[in-house]
Amino acid sequence: MNDQILPIGKDNDGKSIPKFLWSELKPRGKWLTPFNIISIPVICIGLVIIVIRFWKGLGAVTNLSQEVPWGLWIGFDVVTGVAFAGGAYVVTFMVYILNQQKYHSIVRVTVLNGFLAYVFYAGALLLDLGRPWNVINPIIGNNFGTSSVLFLVAWHFMLYMIAELIEFSPAIAEWLGARGARKILSGLTIGAVIFGITLSTLHQSGLGALYLMAKDKIHPLWYSEFIPILFLASSVFAGLSMVIFEGTISHKVFFDQISEKNHKAQEGIVHGLAKICAGAMFAYFFLQLLVFIHDKNWQYLNTPMGYWFLMEMIGFVILPMMLYFYSYRTNNQLLIRIAAILTMLGVILNRLNVTVIGFRWDAAVRYVPTIMEIVVTMTVIFIEIWVFRWIINRMPVLRESPEWAKKEN
Amino acid sequence: MDGFTYNNIFETKGIEYLAIIAFFLILVPFWVLLNRQVKISKQIEKALGILTSSVLKVPQGLFFSRLHTWTHLEKSGVAKVGMDDLLLHITGEVSFNKLIEPGEKVSKGDLMAEINHKGKNLKIYSPISGEVIEANPLLSKRPEILNEDPYLKGWMYKIKPTSWMADTNSYFLAEEASDWSRQELERFKDFLSSSMGKYSPDNANVILQDGGEICDQPLSELPDEVWQDFQKDFLSSKTLCHNANCFRNRE
Amino acid sequence: MSIDRRHFLKIIGLAGASLAIGKSFGAESEKKGEVEFKAMLYDSSQCVGCQACEKACAAAHQLPEPKDEPKVGIIRKTSETQRSAINIFNTSKGEVFNKTQCMHCNEPACAAACLTQAMYKTKEGPVIWRGDKCMGCRYCMVSCPFDVPKFEYHSSNPIIQKCDLCYDRIIKGQIPSCAEACTAGAVIFGTRRGLIAEARKRIAKSPKDFYEDIYGENEAGGTSNLYLSSVPFNEVGFKTNLQNTSYPALSKGFLYTVPSVFVLLPPLLLGIHEATKNKPSNSEENE
Repeated sequence: MNDQILPIGKDNDGKSIPKFLWSELKPRGKWLTPFNIISIPVICIGLVIIVIRFWKGLGAVTNLSQEVPWGLWIGFDVVTGVAFAGGAYVVTFMVYILNQQKYHSIVRVTVLNGFLAYVFYAGALLLDLGRPWNVINPIIGNNFGTSSVLFLVAWHFMLYMIAELIEFSPAIAEWLGARGARKILSGLTIGAVIFGITLSTLHQSGLGALYLMAKDKIHPLWYSEFIPILFLASSVFAGLSMVIFEGTISHKVFFDQISEKNHKAQEGIVHGLAKICAGAMFAYFFLQLLVFIHDKNWQYLNTPMGYWFLMEMIGFVILPMMLYFYSYRTNNQLLIRIAAILTMLGVILNRLNVTVIGFRWDAAVRYVPTIMEIVVTMTVIFIEIWVFRWIINRMPVLRESPEWAKKEN
Repeated sequence: MDGFTYNNIFETKGIEYLAIIAFFLILVPFWVLLNRQVKISKQIEKALGILTSSVLKVPQGLFFSRLHTWTHLEKSGVAKVGMDDLLLHITGEVSFNKLIEPGEKVSKGDLMAEINHKGKNLKIYSPISGEVIEANPLLSKRPEILNEDPYLKGWMYKIKPTSWMADTNSYFLAEEASDWSRQELERFKDFLSSSMGKYSPDNANVILQDGGEICDQPLSELPDEVWQDFQKDFLSSKTLCHNANCFRNRE
Repeated sequence: MSIDRRHFLKIIGLAGASLAIGKSFGAESEKKGEVEFKAMLYDSSQCVGCQACEKACAAAHQLPEPKDEPKVGIIRKTSETQRSAINIFNTSKGEVFNKTQCMHCNEPACAAACLTQAMYKTKEGPVIWRGDKCMGCRYCMVSCPFDVPKFEYHSSNPIIQKCDLCYDRIIKGQIPSCAEACTAGAVIFGTRRGLIAEARKRIAKSPKDFYEDIYGENEAGGTSNLYLSSVPFNEVGFKTNLQNTSYPALSKGFLYTVPSVFVLLPPLLLGIHEATKNKPSNSEENE
C-alpha cells in the first residue's frame, strides 16, 4: 500500500509555534482512501446516534436493562480496549527498566497508541454515563468514594493519561522545535515510566476487580476472586499482540517515514515479542487452570456455557500460544501475525464473557447489543485512528527525530 | 461489626491515599539526594577505566617540563610552547584563555594561560623565559585543536627564548619523556583513588584497581574540588619542590 | 383462605393493638450516644395483599399509583416508577404474599460501589440515593446482589429509583409511609435489634406457622429489611444462595492491596532500573 503520496512530516525549524501549528492543520494526502470511504459515513451516523442518546436517554439507543446495566460500551470499549493499550506499560518496562534497547524504536508509537486508547475509551465512558456532567464529582471531592473500585480505576485512568502524555511529550517538543522544553521533558521520562507501570498494574487488575461484587451474577466459570490477576496477566499479551498487529499495519501504510534501520529491525522486534507472548500465555493458561481447580468448576463443563468456556480456553488461549511458540522457533513472520490476531480475538472473547456474556447469563431476556451500540463503538475507534494518522503524519513518531534532538541523546 | 450500628470497613481509605501521595512527593527528593553524594565517587570509579599510556602520543624532539608543558626550538630561533597530550586526555575538551600578549616578557614559571572545562579551571605556567612573539590565533576560533593536535597545530605561544639551555636543562626528552609520562599516569591513578576516598561518604568503598585502566577524559565529569587538588599535585610549584631544581615560586 | 368469625376478630384486635403500640419497636433500646440502625420487618403471615403500602409509597414520592394487582404466576417487580411491589405465590402452605424493595444492607454493595457516594448508608440505617452527586454510571446496579436500583433509561437526566425507607420522614421522627399505611400489621418499623428480637418471639410463639429463619438476619452480612415467612424463602421469590458475609468484603482484598503496590512497586522498579542502567544494552541482536 505504498501509493500514499504524503509528504513526510517536517519538524518546526525556527518558525514561531502558532504559525507552525496553523500550517500543520492543513490536511495531507488523498481523501478517497479505502479507509476514509468506510470510516467517514460510519462516523457521521455514529455522531447522529450520540446526539439521540443524549436527547432521548440511553434506552433509546441501547439494549441495556435493569438486570444488565453494563453492555457493549463498558464491556468492549472500556474493559477490552484498555487491555489492548497494555502494550505501553510492557514496552516501556522492557526499554526503560530492563534496558532492552532492541525495542527502543517502537516505544514512541506504542506510548502514543496507549495514550490515545485511554483518551478515547475514557471518552466512550462519558457516553455511557447517565449524567456525564457529574463526572467531575469524584474528581473534585463531591464526594471521594474511596471504597469503590471504580473510583480507583477512574483516578488511575486520569493519572495514567498524564503520565503517558509526559512520556510522549518529547516527540511533541521535537515537532514544535522547543529544545528547552524537550530537555526538561526527557528528564521526566523515567519518573513517568515508573509511575505509569505502577498505575497500569493496578488499573488493569482493577478493571477485573470491578466485577468482584457481582459474585452471584456472573457465571461461575468466569467469576472467581482471581479475576483481577487474570486480567492483569492477559493485558500483557493482549497489549503486545496489539503492538504486533498495529505495527504490521503502520509499517505498510507509513512506509516512507520509517528509516532503513527501523525497517530491518521490525522483524527482530516482532520475533522477540512473539517469545514474550508465548511465555505470558503459558503462565496465564496455568493460572486459569489453578482457578478452575480451586473453584471446582468441572461440574459446569458439560453445559452450553461449559462448551463455550472450553472453546475460549482451547481455541483462543492454547492454540495461539502454540502458534506463537512454533512461529517463534521457526521465525515465521506470517504465523506470528496470525497468532497475534487469534490472541486478540481471545482477549476480546474473555473480556466479553466476564462482562456481558457471562453476566446474568440466566436473565429472562439475554442482553444483545443493538446495531446502534456497535456503530457508536466503531465511530470511537475510527475517530481514534484518524487522530493517530494525523499525529503520525506530522510528529517524529515513526520517522527519525530531528538532528538536534538526536545529538542530545 | 455487630450488625446494629454503622460500620465502615473502608473508613481509612481516604487517609491511605493521602499517605501514598505524600510517599511519592517524598520519594523524588529522597532518591535524588541518595544518589548525589555517591555520584562523585561513582565517577572516579568509572575513571579508573581505560586511559593507558599507549593512547598517549609522546613525539620525539620535544622538551617536556614536569608541569606537563612542552617546548620546541624551531630552526628560526623561536620556540613554540604548548600543553602535553597526557594533560589534555585527562581533562577532556577545554577552551583556552591566553593571559600574555605578544611583546610581553615572561619568565620560566610565570602564569601564561588558563584552560577551562565547564567552569573548572587549571593554571598553566610557562616552561621557558623570553619574549612573547605570537599567540596561536587558531585556538580562539577552534579550541578543540588543543585536544586534537596538541603538539603541532595546537601550540599556544611562540616565544623567543632568552635562556634556552638553562631553562630546559632538567626537562625530559625522547625515551625519558615516554617513561616519565607512564609514571605520571600511574601517579594520576593513585591521585584518583585518594580523591575518591576523600569525597566518598564511606571510605570503606575505595576500590583500588591494581593494574586497572582509566577511561578517557577522567577529570571532565569530576567536580571542581578534584580539579583544584589536581592543580596542586600535578601543575604547580609544589609538584616541583621534590628535587633541588626548585625554581622561583610564583603562584 | 377460610377464617371463622372468632379468628377474624382476634386478628383485627391484634392488628388494632399493634397499630397503636407495635409500629415502633425497640425505640428504647438505643445505646447512649450511638445511633442504632432503624429497620423494617415484614411478616408475610399478616399480609393480606391489599397494596395499601404500595399506594402510600407512590403517593409519598410523587410516583404513579400502581394499577395492577398481585397474581399467582406473574412476578411484579420494582421499576424506575415503583419502589415496592407485592407478589403472591402458590406455596406448600397455600397462597403467601411477599413485599419486594431495597434490603438496606448493613454493609451495602451499592454504597461501597458508588464512586461519588451518591449511594450512601446513613448511620440511622437506610441506604439513600443522593441525586446531586450521582453521575449515572450504574455501578451500584452491577454490584447489588438483590438487583434493587432501577435506572431511568429513557430520560436525558436519569435518576436511580429505590426505596429509601422514607429517610426524610425518619429523621423527623416519623415512620415510613408503608408501615403507617399497613392496616394488617404486616409492615412494622423499629430498630434492627428490636425487630429481630420481635421476630424471634413470633417464631418461638408459633413455630408451626413460621419458617425458622429470619431473612435478612445474616444474608449479605445482615440487612435492615427483615422478613418472616410461613414457608421457606425460595418459595416466595427470595434468592437463597447469597453469601452470609457482606458483598463489599469481596473487593476488600483488592482495595487493601492497592496501597502496598503503590509503595512497593516504584522502589522495586527504580532498583531494577539502576541495576540494568550501565550494562551494555541488548541492541539489534536477534535473540
